[in-house]
Order: sequence, then structure tokens, then C-alpha cells
Amino acid sequence: MSGISGGLLGRIAALAIVLVFFQIGVVSEVPVFGVSVDLSPLLVAFVGLLCGSTVGAVTGFAVGLLVDLALVQTLGVTSLTLTVVGYWAGRLREVRDPQAALTPLLVGAVASAGAMVAYSIVQFLLGVDAPVSLELLRQIVLGVVVNTIVALPVWAFVRRCLIGGLPDDPRRRRRRAYTTGGLSPLSRS
Amino acid sequence: MHDKTVRRRRAVLALLVVLSLILLTAYFGEASSGGLHSVQRGFLTVVSPIQNGANKALKPVRDLIGWFGDTLHAKGQRDELRKQVDKLRREVIADDAEKHSYRELLSMYRLDNQLSVNDYHPVTATVVAKSPNVWYSTVTIDKGESSGIHVNDPVINSEGLVGKVAQAASDGAQVTLITDSSVGVSARIGSSNATGIVQPKVGDPNDLLLQYLPANTQASRGEYVVTSGTVSSPDDSLYPPGIPIGQVTSVNEESAYRSVNVHPLADLHNLDVVQVLTSGSGSLPSNITRLTTDLPAGQQAVPSGEQLASTGSGG
Repeated sequence: MSGISGGLLGRIAALAIVLVFFQIGVVSEVPVFGVSVDLSPLLVAFVGLLCGSTVGAVTGFAVGLLVDLALVQTLGVTSLTLTVVGYWAGRLREVRDPQAALTPLLVGAVASAGAMVAYSIVQFLLGVDAPVSLELLRQIVLGVVVNTIVALPVWAFVRRCLIGGLPDDPRRRRRRAYTTGGLSPLSRS
Repeated sequence: MHDKTVRRRRAVLALLVVLSLILLTAYFGEASSGGLHSVQRGFLTVVSPIQNGANKALKPVRDLIGWFGDTLHAKGQRDELRKQVDKLRREVIADDAEKHSYRELLSMYRLDNQLSVNDYHPVTATVVAKSPNVWYSTVTIDKGESSGIHVNDPVINSEGLVGKVAQAASDGAQVTLITDSSVGVSARIGSSNATGIVQPKVGDPNDLLLQYLPANTQASRGEYVVTSGTVSSPDDSLYPPGIPIGQVTSVNEESAYRSVNVHPLADLHNLDVVQVLTSGSGSLPSNITRLTTDLPAGQQAVPSGEQLASTGSGG
């Protein structure tokens, strides 16, 4: 978590609050293909992808707690799932540092699928009386598809909001690495 | 340094996971009046006004997004409803056609019962072709000699007399309508016994003229003109008595014989289903038709009361 400034944390907090309320106030009331877009796993995954695993996990916990409090759900369930999602996305950045343009799309899809499946599993473990049915699977699949569709715009928005506070933007770092001569194939020749 | 970072990262993760589990367990285990529930209610109390405000502020955004969804949904509904309308329209048209046929057949059935034309072995036929000119006075039907239809057989529909068969093939026949100049039908005005000949009015093929009535014949507008059941010449077909032909529209008194203008009851321009009163071998119409061919021209053959009674025909 070294290098994370208070300004960045403030930006993340503001972004989380705005997106959670936007999710509750607008997005959840506009069904697409019969399901609603869930911005929280996308937000957490993209924060993890930009800021690392620790910040991702903390953001996941905080956003999950906010969602559970605001929606009067069982406290801890969303926190638990989103903590894991944020941590995983952060680790992906730290270990692989993927630069492909479609990375946010895949990360968004995997994060959404993981969050939805994990949430369902925890709910079942808690004994919520809901049968495993094709309808539930359909909802999860459609939810993942819809989240994947909006992943790129959400990624662009989150990145735009946080880019100013990031200590070391992966793209800038990569560009700098080429220009300083350390990794450029041209410099080797 | 690296180990320390890894340890710290893992510790944070473990802490958050454990914290989540503790929250989950505590929340799930406590009563609704417990501490965590109270915190949640308190949060809700604080956040509700903000949430309401945000909800109102974001309503236009929600409506805008919803508008797109509603538009797409409405388009889908519109297409679906158009298909339903087309389907229902086809059904209504089919129902109307069936209803029309049913009414015609019912009327014909009632007319058959009223006039006792069953003795004439009625054959129901559909009009398949009409003379294309404005003055058309012939139609083609889909039944012919194979159904027992012969030349000069009378043709009726649910409204009244239509005409007679002019030519018959095995599976079709041509019917000359009563508005054709070659047709003359022995008829009488319903209230009197005076008979005359109904022929098309010169210059107006849609109207008929009942001619050669005795000068003292009383007729008034609106009275029905029906077949008399006699033939006026050997070439005429034997129309069963009492078949309605038309209604008197006016009376002409300028000559020695009285004549009346008659408007045909049958809508001859919109014929669909007709009945041909066939004259099978040995039947009353057959016998009388054969008898009339032996008579000199100008004499009339009238079926006797016994003959009419034996066939059930009246009027």
C-alpha cells in the first residue's frame, strides 16, 4: 500500500459512494435483458487493477459494507465477496500487469461472475431458502453478460477518476521503460 | 522488504476476510434488535434523505435510460401486436365469410321449408363466374348434369327467384338471370290471382315488368310478386309456385293490359350461393315440363290441385 496517497484514497472513497448510490438509485431500476447491471464488482475490480491488491481488497470490503448497509442486507456477505474480487484483480496487475485493450473487459466479466457465484454460494451456506434452478443460472449468466457489456465504459470512467492520483500508472510505466532504454529492443541492437 | 510487503498484503486480506466473516456471523446470529441491526437502521436513517435526494436528482437519468428500454420494448410490442392484428383480421374475414355463407344457407333452408321446394330436389351450387359486362345476365355455377341439373331448371337463392339454367355441362352450368330479355316468368301479385309475365324492363335491365295483367287488377306499391307455378311457353321452365320475385314499385294503367314495375328481390349482382330446383325423371316438374312441350304455343299448363297436394307444393 506504499505510495498510496490520501488524495487517491479520497478519490476512491468518493467514487465508491457515488457509484453505489448511482447503482441503487438508477442502475438497479433499469433492467437490461431482465437483469440489472451490478457496478460494484466492476468498480472494485478496476480499483484493484489500477491500485493493487491491498487497495483493491480494502475497497472491496468498504464497498461491500456500504452496499449491505444501504440495501439492508446481511452484513459481511457482499464485503466478503468483493474483498476477494478486489484482491484478485490487484494481484493480476501485480503479477501479470496485462496491457491488452480488452483486459478490462475480461477482468470485468470474471469479477462479475466470481462475485455473483460467490454471493450465491454464501447465501446458500447461510440457508437462504432459494432453490438452485435454471432461472438462477440464467440470471447469473445474463448478469455477467450485461456487466461485460458495460465493463469498458466503467473502466474508462474509473480510470479517468483515479488516474491523477495514481503513483505509477502501468501504461506510463511501460512507456517510460521503453524511453529510458532499459527494455526497448531497439536499444539493445 | 519484499517479504514484509507480501506479509502485510496477506495480513490485510486475512483481516478483511475474517472481519467479513465476523460481521456475517454476528449479524446472522443476532436478533433484529441487536447492535449490528441498529447500526444498519441508523445508517439507513442517515442515508435515506440523501438516497431520496439522489433518487429524485437522478430520476431524469433513470427516465432517459428507461426511455430507451421502453422504446425498444414498445417496438417489440408493436411488432407483436401487428402480427396479432393481422392474424385477427384474417380470422374476422374468414368468420365473416363463414357467417355470410351460413346466413345464406339458413335463409335458403327456410325458403325451402316455406315453399316445399324439397320435392324439386334442390341442388346447392356456388356461383363461380359472372358475366363481366355491366348488363350481365348470366352466371356460371359449379354444379352440372352430374348433380342432376338440366336445362331450364329454376334457380333460386335465399331472397327469391334468380333465373333458370340455360346450359348444363357435366360439372357446371350457365344460369340465365331473370333480368335477361330471353326469360319470361309466369307470376302473380301476392294479393290477387291475376297472372302475367315478368320480363326485364326495356332500357333498365335491373328492373322487371309484370305485363299482361287484366285491366281490373288491383296492385299497390310494395306488394310482392311471386311465381304462379305455370309456364307461358313450351320453352319456359316450370318455376314452383310462390317463389318471391320482387316488389311492386309502380303501376302502369295506360294500356288495355295493366302492367306493374317490379324490383327484383334477389341481389343479382352479388350472387354467391344458389339452389337449382332439379326436375328428376318421373317427378312432378319433369312430367309437367314434358306435358308443356306437347302443348301448342300460347297455352298454359297449370299443375292440378291433386298434383300440387301430392308434392306438398302450395300457392
